[in-house]
Amino acid sequence: MKGTLAKGLLLLSLFALVFLAACGGSDGENASKDDENESGSGDKVIEFMHLWPEGSSKQHYDIVNGIIEEYESDNPGVKVKLEILGNEQYKEKLKVLSTSNELPDVGMTWAAGFLEPYVSGNMFASLDDLLDGPLKDKFVPGTAEAYALDGTTYGLPLELNITPLYYNKAIFEEHGLEAPTTFDELKEVVQTLVDQGVTPIALGNKDRWTGSMWYMYLADRIGGPEVLNKAIDRSGSFEDPALVEAAKEVQELVDMGAFLNGFNGLGNDEAKGYFINEQAAMYLMGSWDLPEWTTSEANPQEFKDSIDYMKFPVVEGGKGDENSFVGGPGVGLFVAENSDVKEEAKDFVAFFVEKWGEQSVEKAGVIPATKVDTEGSDLPQMYVDVLNDLNEASNITLYADVQMSAGVAEVHLDMIQALFGKAVTPEEFAKQQEEALAAEE
Amino acid sequence: MNKVMSNKVVIALYTLPALILILALIYGPILLTGYYGLMDWNGIGAMTFIGLDNYVELVQDSKFWESALHSFLLAIFSTLSLAIYLIISLILAGKIKGSNLLRKIYLIPMLLSSVAIAQLWIKIYDPNNGMLNSLLQTLGVENPPAWLADPNLVLYAIFVAILWQYAGFYIIIYYAALKGLPESLIEAAKIDGATPIQIAYKIKVPLIAGVIKVTIVLAIVGSLKYFDLIYVMTGGGPNGASEVIASYMYKKAFGIYDFGYGSAIAFFLLLITLVVTWLTRKLTASEDEIQY
Amino acid sequence: MASLAQAKENSTFAKIGMILLYLALIIVAVFQLYPLVWLFMFSLKSNSEVFGLSPFALPQEPQWENYVRVWTQGNIDMYFFNSVWITLVSVLLTVLLASFVTFAITRMRWKFSKLVLALFMIGYMVPIHSAIIPLFDFYLKLDLIDNPLSIILSYVAFNLPLTIMILLGFYYTLPREVEEAAVVDGCSVHRIFFQITLPMTTPVLATTAIINMIYNWNEFIFVNTFISSDHLKTLTVGIQNFIGQYLTDWGAIGATLVISIIPILIAFLVLSDKIVEGIAAGSVKG
Repeated sequence: MKGTLAKGLLLLSLFALVFLAACGGSDGENASKDDENESGSGDKVIEFMHLWPEGSSKQHYDIVNGIIEEYESDNPGVKVKLEILGNEQYKEKLKVLSTSNELPDVGMTWAAGFLEPYVSGNMFASLDDLLDGPLKDKFVPGTAEAYALDGTTYGLPLELNITPLYYNKAIFEEHGLEAPTTFDELKEVVQTLVDQGVTPIALGNKDRWTGSMWYMYLADRIGGPEVLNKAIDRSGSFEDPALVEAAKEVQELVDMGAFLNGFNGLGNDEAKGYFINEQAAMYLMGSWDLPEWTTSEANPQEFKDSIDYMKFPVVEGGKGDENSFVGGPGVGLFVAENSDVKEEAKDFVAFFVEKWGEQSVEKAGVIPATKVDTEGSDLPQMYVDVLNDLNEASNITLYADVQMSAGVAEVHLDMIQALFGKAVTPEEFAKQQEEALAAEE
Repeated sequence: MNKVMSNKVVIALYTLPALILILALIYGPILLTGYYGLMDWNGIGAMTFIGLDNYVELVQDSKFWESALHSFLLAIFSTLSLAIYLIISLILAGKIKGSNLLRKIYLIPMLLSSVAIAQLWIKIYDPNNGMLNSLLQTLGVENPPAWLADPNLVLYAIFVAILWQYAGFYIIIYYAALKGLPESLIEAAKIDGATPIQIAYKIKVPLIAGVIKVTIVLAIVGSLKYFDLIYVMTGGGPNGASEVIASYMYKKAFGIYDFGYGSAIAFFLLLITLVVTWLTRKLTASEDEIQY
Repeated sequence: MASLAQAKENSTFAKIGMILLYLALIIVAVFQLYPLVWLFMFSLKSNSEVFGLSPFALPQEPQWENYVRVWTQGNIDMYFFNSVWITLVSVLLTVLLASFVTFAITRMRWKFSKLVLALFMIGYMVPIHSAIIPLFDFYLKLDLIDNPLSIILSYVAFNLPLTIMILLGFYYTLPREVEEAAVVDGCSVHRIFFQITLPMTTPVLATTAIINMIYNWNEFIFVNTFISSDHLKTLTVGIQNFIGQYLTDWGAIGATLVISIIPILIAFLVLSDKIVEGIAAGSVKG
C-alpha cells in the first residue's frame, strides 16, 4: 500500500517536472512560433553570432549594426538576429553549439587550423560561389586562401594584420640608440638597455602565441619564409637546422635578459601595460594594436607620439628579407552548412564583407582583408605606413598556431613557453614539434 | 514515533524533487560523459567507438599524472588550511569585542567573483610592479622571484590565492556551527575552570566534528575538481607547472577538440574523487557523529 | 600570597595575549578588506593606469566615466535585474529542497537514506565543464535553450549537493529532543519540519543561502552557454562584454565588478546577522 503510494508520488513528481519543463518550453515555442509567423509573413531570419560586444569594441559593434540596418532596408523580408559574445566565450560557445549541430547561420571563424575540424565535420558551407561572383578580386591575394581546404574556401576574412616591432623612440633617444636593422644591432640595443637597467622587450608569454611570434620571425630571417611553412605542411622537417638555430637565438635573447622579468607568468595585457607605461622599450605585436599608439584616448598623447615601429631586423647571412612578415588574416565569416537560410546568409556575408572593408580602417582601425583605398582618407601616418608595408610585403607567414591543427598548435605553444623558460634545449624543442607533426600525418 | 518518522509518502515528497533534478541534470551528463569517454570524437564530426583506448592513453599520459599530482597537493593543502579557518572561526565565535564586525570583514573576499580575485592576485604577484615584490624590495630583498613564471613556485603561489579565496566559505560554515552550540555546555565548563583554549579544543571542536568532517570532504572534492583561478592566472603554465586535472581536461576538450579524451579525463577524475572521498570517510569514521 | 601574584602575572600575560591577538586579527582584517578598496580604485583607472607603476597608487584622474560607460553601453541595468531574480529564485529553491532532503535523511527512517545521501555526495564531485555539452543537448531537446529556466534548474541541481552536505553537518549536531517531543505530542511531519526544524536551522540556512547566493550571482558558464538573447543574460556576462578581441577595457570591468558587488554585499550583511539572530531564536525555543 505504502509502496504504491510512493510510486504514485514518484510519477506525480515526474509529471510536475515535465510540466515545469513544458511550461518553460512554451516560451521557447512561442518564440519559434513568432519566427514562423514572421517567415509566414515573408520574413527570413539570419542568425549572426559575432565577438565584438559594445563594451569592448564600440566602433566594431556600431559598424556591424550599421551594415545590418542597411542590409535589412535593402532586403525587405530578411531580418538579422544577433548574438554577441566576448572572445573566449565566443570560441567556447561555438564548440558547444557545434556538438549539437546548432551553429548560427553566419558566424566568425579563424583560419586554417581552427576551421579544419568544422570543415571536415561538414559544418561550414563552401563560399567559392561568392569568391567567383560578387567578391571576385576583392580580397588581398593570399588572405581568403587561408580559409581554404582542398581548394574550397569556407571563410571570408575581415581582418588582415602584420606584426611590426614597436619601439619607444623616447627611450631609444635617451640611451643614444637607433632602430636596429640587423639582428646583431638588435642584440647591441638589447645589451645597452640591459646595462642601463631598462627592460628592452615587453613580452607576456603566459599567452604563448606572443613568444611564438618572436620565434617565427627568427625562423624566417634565418631560414627564409618557407622553412616553417614546409615543416608544418610536412614537405620539410621541424628539425631543419634553421629552425633549431632560431630556437638558439631565442634562448640567447633570454640569456641576455632581453625580455621582461617574469614573462612566462605575465599575460599579453600586462606586458603591454609595461610598454604603455614606458617601462619597456620594444614590443612585438600585431597591427591590431595600432589604435593604441594612434587614436586611443586612454593613452597620453606624449606617449603615442613617442611610439614608432620597425620591420623585424634581418639576420646577416640569413635567407629572410625585411619585407617578410609574420601575420595574416584574423577572424572571418562562415556560413553554416545546415542553415535553413543558406542563400540569404551567403548574400548577407558578401554584403557584409564589402561594406566592412569600406569602413573598418577609418572607423574602427581594423585593416580589412579586402583591398583598401587610402586615397583621400584621413588616416594616422602609422596606418598609412603599415598599409604600404602590407602592399610591399614579400611574404606573410600565417601565425604558426593558426596554421597548425589544434593538437599540434598546443604542442607548439607549450614548447614555446618551455623554450623561453629554458626548460628544453633548442634540439628538444624542434624534436618534440617534429614528432607531433609527424604523428598527425 | 517510528510510524510518523518513516512515512514513505512524506519521504518521497521531501526527497524526490531534488533527486529527480540531480538525476536528470547531474547523473544524465555523467553517464553521457562516460559514454563520450569511449569515443574518438572531436565534438564536431561523427563519433567512433574506440573502447577503452582513451583510458589506456590516459594511464600513460605523463602530463595527466603531473596535473593529478598538483590536484592532490591542492587537496592536501586545502585540508590542512581548514585548521587555520577553524582557529579563526573559534576566535571570531568567542566572546571578544568587535567579533561581529570582524566576522563580516573576514567574509568579504568570498563575495568577489573569480574574475576579480584572479585580477587582484595577478597584480599582487606581478614580478616587477606587483604589491608583493614591491613590499619585498622595500624590505631589502634583492631580485624577488617572479612568482607566476617560476615553475617551482607557481603552484604554491596559486595555492595561497585559493586559500584566501575560500577562507570566507569555510569560516562562515564553522562560525555558524560554533554559534549553534548550546551555551549551557560552555558555561558549565567555564565554571569548572576550563581555559578558553581547553574549551575550544575539548568541547567545541568535538561538538562540531560532524561539520568538520563535511568540510574535509568539501575541501578534498573541491580541490580535486578545482579550475577557476588556475585557468585565469596561469592557464596551467608555465610548461604545465600549475596544471591541474580540471584545467587539463578543459584544454583537451575545448582547447584542442578532443572531446572523447576530455570526457575520459572527466570520468576518471570522478572515479578518483570517489575513491579518495570514500577513503576519507573511512578514516574519519572512527569518531562518529557526536550527539547530545 | 604567591597565588595572588601568579594570578596578577597571568592577567598581564592575558592582556598582552589579547593585544597580540587583536593585532593579528586586525592585520588579517586589513588583508580581507583591502580587495574592496583595490577594486574600487581599479574601477576608477584607465587601462594604462591599471597596469601602471604601483598597484597601490591612487588613480591620477579618477575615471568616473568608466561607470557612465558601463551604464550606457553595457546594458547593465537589464543584466542586473536578471541576476537578481534568477539568483533569488534559485537560492530559495535550493535551500528549501536541500532542507527537505536533509531532514528526510537525518530525521526519518527509511531503507535507502544512505544510498540517496551517497547520490547527492557524488553529485558534488562532477566537474562542471564535463557536464556542459550533455546539458546543452538535454535542454535543446526540451526546448529550454535561451530560457531562464535552464539556468535556474542548473543552479539548483548543481548547488543541491553542496547545500545538503553543509546542512547535514548541522542536522547531526542539532538536538533532537524538541522534535522527538513533538512527535510524541502527535505533530505531523510537515509541522515538525516547518515549525520546529526550519526555524532551528536558521543560522545554517542563512549560511547556505549566502554561499548559494554568491555562487549563483557570480556564475557565468551556464548563462553563457544556455542563453543567447541579450535580454536574458546576467551581470557576469556583462563583464565579458568588456573583454575584446584584442583589447580589454579593464576600467569598465572594474566598474561592473563594483556595481555587481553592491547588492550582494548588502544581502550578505543582512543574512550574515541572521546567522547569529537565528541562534538566539533557536535557543529560546530549545
